[in-house]
Amino acid sequence: MINPEALRFLTAVSSSEYSGPTLKMGSLIASVFDAHLGVVYVGDKANEFHGGAVNLTRHNLENWDIIHPGLEVLKWALGELKRFNPNNAGLARIQFNADHIFEEDGRIKVILPEEKGCRVELILREGDLVDQMRKEIQLEGYDLAIIGGSQNKQHLAHSIIQYLPSSIFVLQKFSPQKQYKLLLLVDDSDATQKSIEWGALIAKKLGWPVKTLTVSKTKLFGPGYQGAADMAKTYFESRDIEVEQFFISGDPVTTFVDFAGDDHMIIMGASTLNPIKQLLFGSKPIKTLARTGVPILIVR
Amino acid sequence: MRISADMIFWIQQKRWLLIAFGLGGLLYHFIPGPSGLSPEGYHILIIIFMTLILILKEPVPLPAIALQIIFWQVIIGGSTPNEVGSYFMNDAVFFIMGSLMLAVAIVSQGLDKRMALGIIRITGNKTWRIVAGFTAISAILSSFVGPHMITAMLLPVALTLIRFTPKSSKSTSGLTAALLFSIAYGATIGSIGTPSGGGRNVIMMNYWAEFGSGSLSYLQWMKMVYPMVLIEIPITAFIILKTFPPEMQILDTAVRRLSVEVAHAGKISAREILTVVLFALILLSWMTLSEDYGLGSIALIGIFLYMALGLVSWKELNRGVNWGVILLFGATISIGVQMKNTGGAAWLADLSVGFLQSVIPDIDTLRAIVSVALSGVMSNLLSSSATVAVVGPVVLNLGGDPILLGLASVIASAFGYFTAVAAPACTIIYSSGLVKAPDFLRAGWKMAVMSVLSLMLVALVWWPILN
Repeated sequence: MINPEALRFLTAVSSSEYSGPTLKMGSLIASVFDAHLGVVYVGDKANEFHGGAVNLTRHNLENWDIIHPGLEVLKWALGELKRFNPNNAGLARIQFNADHIFEEDGRIKVILPEEKGCRVELILREGDLVDQMRKEIQLEGYDLAIIGGSQNKQHLAHSIIQYLPSSIFVLQKFSPQKQYKLLLLVDDSDATQKSIEWGALIAKKLGWPVKTLTVSKTKLFGPGYQGAADMAKTYFESRDIEVEQFFISGDPVTTFVDFAGDDHMIIMGASTLNPIKQLLFGSKPIKTLARTGVPILIVR
Repeated sequence: MRISADMIFWIQQKRWLLIAFGLGGLLYHFIPGPSGLSPEGYHILIIIFMTLILILKEPVPLPAIALQIIFWQVIIGGSTPNEVGSYFMNDAVFFIMGSLMLAVAIVSQGLDKRMALGIIRITGNKTWRIVAGFTAISAILSSFVGPHMITAMLLPVALTLIRFTPKSSKSTSGLTAALLFSIAYGATIGSIGTPSGGGRNVIMMNYWAEFGSGSLSYLQWMKMVYPMVLIEIPITAFIILKTFPPEMQILDTAVRRLSVEVAHAGKISAREILTVVLFALILLSWMTLSEDYGLGSIALIGIFLYMALGLVSWKELNRGVNWGVILLFGATISIGVQMKNTGGAAWLADLSVGFLQSVIPDIDTLRAIVSVALSGVMSNLLSSSATVAVVGPVVLNLGGDPILLGLASVIASAFGYFTAVAAPACTIIYSSGLVKAPDFLRAGWKMAVMSVLSLMLVALVWWPILN
């Protein structure tokens, strides 16, 4: 069972220009769950040949009160979090100070004073996005990684789903103002139980309507599929959440994508396929993420 | 399940290491060396091939790349550990080590604020004059002290000007790019001006001495190359201003606020005077004594004096110097010498000349084109110094005048304008996050054309006059 009191979310930001919606959703979800929120900026790593020269320059820039571009983004992120949570007095009291940082485990951490009711962490990393997020998740034990959509969607879908060891929330074309419906994909896999738990938590907290969708490649829906759908229905109803059930025959990925349209948020379990098979042939989550344009939560 | 996913992730992250070693193993075990190339020469070329892949894709840290060069040389290169070690440390490596430490020692004194004031006094507040001033100052100073030190000192000045520019009316992306590229490209074109302008210059001097190809003194080098730097300065400023037209013609507010900011530095201190005097002494020694004592030894004496006089601590030096780079230069120079000794360099030189001779019949022109093209292309992929360390022995085996070809190769290795990788100055401005990779292409091709034409002008008109 998920313990909502101990949840830890990690959201990746890249710039003040593009990361606003991602940060807003990360902040919203973290606040409704009262979860710890880590904000990580992953920047380009300087070519190692000239890494010493870059470090020397950055050190000198500090004498001119010019901070690392990544710290600028984190400073902006803290300001945005305060704006999104005007009633959080603990957050409001926190001031960003670029001198209060320390390096450990290949990352730079901004030291923030501990304030009651404020569980925010600001992290700067440099290197490959997936590699650095993976290290951060492993280091801090995050439950959910929240990331924005990407131009390089196919490659990103493959990498993040295969390699990030947490649940993953990809905010494709996410609009904070939009009222989404939750579309929970239910089958007989092990991950379905956890997807149902996440779906119930989100639906309860955000008040979004819920639909469950079970897709079979044949016209028959075996006892495994039927049982999983019933289990989901029972779970939601026991928490006073109304749920609509759908059973459709067809290609699973195509059906998920068509059904989701542009007004749903998909929740589905991570694949239990052997990682080598996933690498070679892909998986339902990888293919769905690559093809759909709506936000998608892949539960691990 | 997790172990298997972790393994796949490791393979995905390290795929270039596996590809490099896989191809190397394939060549070593299953594909016989070409005729005319000794087995040792073939093995050295395999090591270089693997190393180039590793440097290019960086699947492992640079020091690890250096270490694998050493053990492959001993295991398959036919060298003894002592032979490898004897080529590992030489004056070029001493110089690279010394210049990196000098940069830390000088930058930490805060002289950049005084430099900012000096530049503003000369240029005034007109944008084009500031861009031209940055280009000229970067070029001239980097020709003596290296581009990384000057860029580290001037970047804060440019960023402060940008920060103080009122942004209410319009975007300042053109102004930002113009100021940053004037520093980076200025420092890059200047770095060829004297032997101390860059590690690659000293690496080539070391190869000339090692291979018995002759030598050039500090002042002779300047006499041959400095005119090219002087030609390039105004053209570089012009190219930058045309490629990145600044949104404002006058930076009066920014200049005024910068002047106030740097005025807080107060009067020049004894420590700062000592720093400048010491560096002037080092520079004078490079000019007059380097033929006898080497550039590296003089740089190291300078560092000793900075430390002895308390101007810099070992802790500061240790923190500011990337020792892995020094290790890598030692290793690449060592394999460069082995490439020459085993005949690998001569074989590669013959191959490239033979390949193109049907297209370019004139052998002198062909040699010049091969040396310039090889260095120019590779420097955009690797780094300029690594390029010279690897390409140098091949160029010096092309035949013809090794001094002229070596100089042309070193100069062309500074033509790394297209990417943020090639030159330290380009990497530094890219790390500010204010210029993007396509900006390097926008201005880089114009810089490359201009630089090739300048090199041709100097090589075809100035060098014959000197001879």
